[in-house]
Formats: sequence, structure tokens, C-alpha cells
Amino acid sequence: MDKENKYIPYRVRIAKKTQESSNIQTYRLEFVDEKDAENFSFRSGQFCEYGVPGEGESTFCIASPDTRKGYVECTFRTTGRVTAALANCEENDIISLRGPFGNAFPIEQWYGKNVVFVTGGIALPPLRCVIDTLLDQREKFGEISVYYGAKNVEELTYKAELEEWAARGDMNLFITVDPGGETPEWKNFIGFVPTILEQNPPKSDNAVAVIAGPPILIKLGMPILAKSGFPNDQIYTTLENRMKCGVGKCGHCTVGKTYVCKDGPVFTYEEVLGMPLEY
Amino acid sequence: MEIKTITSANIPVFFNNLVKSGKVVVAPVLKQSGKVFFESVQSYDQVSTDYIQTAFSAKSVVFPEVEELFSYTKKEDGDFEFRNDMSNVPETVIWGLRPCDSSAFNYLTDFFLKENPDTYFKLRKERTTLISVSCAKADAACFCTSVGLNPGNVTGSDILLTAMGDSYYVEISTEKGKSVIDTALFTDSTEKSKEEFLAKVETKFSMDEIRERIQTAYDSAEWKHESMGCLGCGACAFSCPTCTCFDIQDEGSQESGKRLRCWDACGFGQFTRHASGHNPKSNQTARRRQRLMHKFKYSVENFGIVSCVGCGRCIRVCPAHLNIFENILNVTKA
Repeated sequence: MDKENKYIPYRVRIAKKTQESSNIQTYRLEFVDEKDAENFSFRSGQFCEYGVPGEGESTFCIASPDTRKGYVECTFRTTGRVTAALANCEENDIISLRGPFGNAFPIEQWYGKNVVFVTGGIALPPLRCVIDTLLDQREKFGEISVYYGAKNVEELTYKAELEEWAARGDMNLFITVDPGGETPEWKNFIGFVPTILEQNPPKSDNAVAVIAGPPILIKLGMPILAKSGFPNDQIYTTLENRMKCGVGKCGHCTVGKTYVCKDGPVFTYEEVLGMPLEY
Repeated sequence: MEIKTITSANIPVFFNNLVKSGKVVVAPVLKQSGKVFFESVQSYDQVSTDYIQTAFSAKSVVFPEVEELFSYTKKEDGDFEFRNDMSNVPETVIWGLRPCDSSAFNYLTDFFLKENPDTYFKLRKERTTLISVSCAKADAACFCTSVGLNPGNVTGSDILLTAMGDSYYVEISTEKGKSVIDTALFTDSTEKSKEEFLAKVETKFSMDEIRERIQTAYDSAEWKHESMGCLGCGACAFSCPTCTCFDIQDEGSQESGKRLRCWDACGFGQFTRHASGHNPKSNQTARRRQRLMHKFKYSVENFGIVSCVGCGRCIRVCPAHLNIFENILNVTKA
């Protein structure tokens, strides 16, 4: 973020609202001020603070890829006061946005490699940004595999895109719901993501893995990927601790001496192994 | 460094001249509770000189408990106007802070300005002059000498005053300090040493030993015992001169109001709690450990400074009688 004062937000207009499920929505946001649009640039993996003045700010990753310019997308679940106020907004409403904050995935280093994504629940959005970045330059990458699961069919995010990805024919998809979360029509996997990952291990030759999710999925998933042969420095994750400022000051997101907001949120398994279990 | 001297009789004149110059002068004032607090004063008569340590540090001058980040108004077309005006932040002199507290300002400056410089802190710090007074007395909670400081260190101060009977030894460290000196009141110093007028502060531990042993202290079994009794009240953090954690909250309606940042504390149960309910620092032991490891290990790694200045406030204020230097000694014992 280049602004000198990191706390004064941009004003962004909700250009498109997509209801992903009963309590998950995706907003496409466009800058009200054209100058802001010109000055704003981000890389896949970074996050922002989205706010409704009077209610507060919430932290979500940028869910759209950096290959698509002119807007920012975010996907969030209605959970508390701020997300409820955000969810109440309609198209054309104006909200506040600060960012982008944090580091990004080193996608240029993955050219020519197979890329495996592992994620669950509301943690598909941070990886959708990366997946779309890869799909926008598909020829630069080898196989792309996605392991994604949710509690139940209703809570799967980006259902339309999951179908589009399946229809492309150039991705390996392992979509699952937790046992009991399936519907009679459900044709995909049933089981927790770590289980599905273990039963269908990805090939680790010339490959990198990217894992995001609820902390339990990261904690269980990273060792499984390591056991499948991925070197620790080729397993990437994005940690998402509670945050307020985004610039390494407010103290909420620390893992040991590390500030997730400014030192991360993207870390390798190797880096994570050197940190206390505070995520 | 420039050394001067001023007679004790001229101290009130110097002080009152600072007030007359139009600066806000914040100084220690004895309250009915028997405790001493920093507040804006008009005359030296109000200033307390007989105190070991103020209840709160003076950090709120540069990092207020509640600070407006900006105000907002929603216009008729639904767009927002964000306003931030800091032109009213006054030139301020903090008078009578102890050398430990002035050292804390050095850490605060590194923390807020080295990386992603903080607009608000920067302006307030630029407009603040620190006139510290050395300690002639200490109590059992004082331990500045254990963290590399002493009751007469000049670190962080623009001017340090040391009472030496009927005169004060004056150490002027910065241009800012020079600019507030009223030359008529000060003469060149002939005194040799201020040492005999300084408090004797017992050394509780050797930082050299701690620095080594804190590296592996995270896994110490003692944390549980050492944090027992911690109520998570945050009094230690609020009275601490180097604690910087804050929350961001909005005050007002969706039509108009302010976005504020307010002091927060890593001891609070909600501090790290995720929206999902998951809490990475889920118990008081983890939170107490975070506080101490931050002071003695993480800030050394991030800024090269132990961010505890040994002022002893957290010890005096803790309702559960937790003692930071005893805690540190116990989690680092061989």
C-alpha cells in the first residue's frame, strides 16, 4: 500500500454481488475515484481490510487474480457485526477498502511445474485468486489439481466455478463434503479433506503444493503433503490470524515474533515449522 | 551532549516559562487517590516532585488511549467523505518522566517509524519534547538496571534533569532540548558527577544470561505456574510504557462518525480469537507467555531492543501480584 497514511481507506463501489450460499457472498469492487484505480495494484496472495463506516473493518484476502485488472473481488461469510453489515449492502453501495497488505505467492517460480491446491470451506477464495492467476496463463503450468471440501454441499463456495473448472478438462478436481454433508444427488467425494488427500495422493515430482483452510486443515494437511514427497519449501500456505491494522502494528496476528500481516500471510511449510503453533 | 546547571529555585521559573511559551506541558500530578498521574498543568505549583513512578506512563501523549484515525460522512449520493486533520496536535513538553520511560520512547519510535511509518505517531512525536528527571528513589518493583538501563540514563530524553541538592545537573541531548532552554536560567556546569544523587536500583537478573536462556524458554513448563492467577485484565499492558497493541473501532452511525484506534492488550481472551471461534492463544498461559516473550525475545529479534524498561508498573498494578522479573527468572532458570 503506497498511501502514506495506511488508515485512510479507499472508497469502492459494489459493482456485482453474487450470493454463493445463504451466508457467503462475493463482491466485485470498483474504485469510486479513478486515480485510486490507477494507483492500486496487488499481487495474488495479498489481502485487504473491507469496511462499512460505522460498523468497522474485516480482513479478507483478495479473491480475484492479479491478472484481471480494474477491480478487486472478495468473498466472505457472514459471521459478526461487520460481515453482517457488509452482507446487507447491495450493488452500487459504497464501502471502504484498505490495502493491499502482506506478501504474495511467488507464482513466477512455479512456471513449468505441477501445482496442487488443498483447501476447505471459506478458504477457497484465497486460493481461487491463485488458481485463476494460473488458469489465465494456463500454458505456463503443468497439471493443476484442486482438493476442496466443505462441511456440506450448501457451504461449497464458487459452485458455478467448480462446474466450469470440471468442464475445462485440464484440471484434476477432488471435491468433497464432510460425512453427512452430502445430498442424495451428490456424485463427488465424501470425507474430510485430509482423508481424501491421503487416499488420492498428488504426485510430488516437479510440483508445488498450496494449502489454505481452517487452521486444523493446514496443521493436518502440510505433513500429509510432506509425506507425499513435497519438499518443505515447496509447500505454501496462507495463514489468516485475526488482524486489525494490516501493517504490523496492532499486534493481533502475531505468531511468535512473526507478524502474519506484514511478514506473511504467505509462508512455506519450512517457515511454518520454525514458528510456534499460534495460528 | 551539552551539560548545564540550574538552581533549584529557578526550576519553577523554567517550567512556568515553558507553559508561557504556549506549549502544552504534561507533568506528574498527585491525585486524591495518592497516585501520581501525568496531566496537562498550568503552573509548577501543581507538579508533584515526590514520587517514585507515575501510575501510567506518558506514552499517551504520542499514542493516545483513544485516537481518531479519521471521521467520515455519508453523502446523499451514498459516497463517503473521509477527513483527517491533525493540525491541532499541540507542541507538548512532557516533564518529569523517569529515565526508564524516556528509554521507552526510543523503542516506541523504532516500533512505529522504522517500517510502515505511522502517520499519527510521527506527527505527535515530532511535536513532543521530553524533559526527564532522574530517580533519587526506587522501590522493590524497580528493575531498570536488569534491562541495561539506570536511574540516570539519558536515552530517549531531550533533556535530563538530576536534582543535586540546591541545584540540578542538566544534560541536553538534542537540538529540540536546546531549543527550549532559557539561557538566562542556565549556567555551565562545574559539577563532576551525578552518580551519588541517583537511586540505587537492585539488579534482579543479568540480561546476558537471560538473552541466552530466553531462546528456549517458549517450551518451559514453568509458564503454567508463572501465569497462574492472571485474570487477563490488561492492567499490565495499559500501564506499560512500551505496549503498543491496539484495536480499531468505529464510533457513530453509518451516516457519520469516527474510526478510532484504542489501546488493546494481548492478555485479553478475545485478542487473537478468530471469527470461527478458533483461538490460537487459547488460554491465559499462552497469552502471558506472549507478553513476556515479546518484551524479552521478539522485540530483540525484530528491533534489537529489549522492550521492557524495568519501570515496575505492571508489578505494582497487577491485582494477582504477578511479577514480571520473577516470571522471567523462573522460565529461564537452568
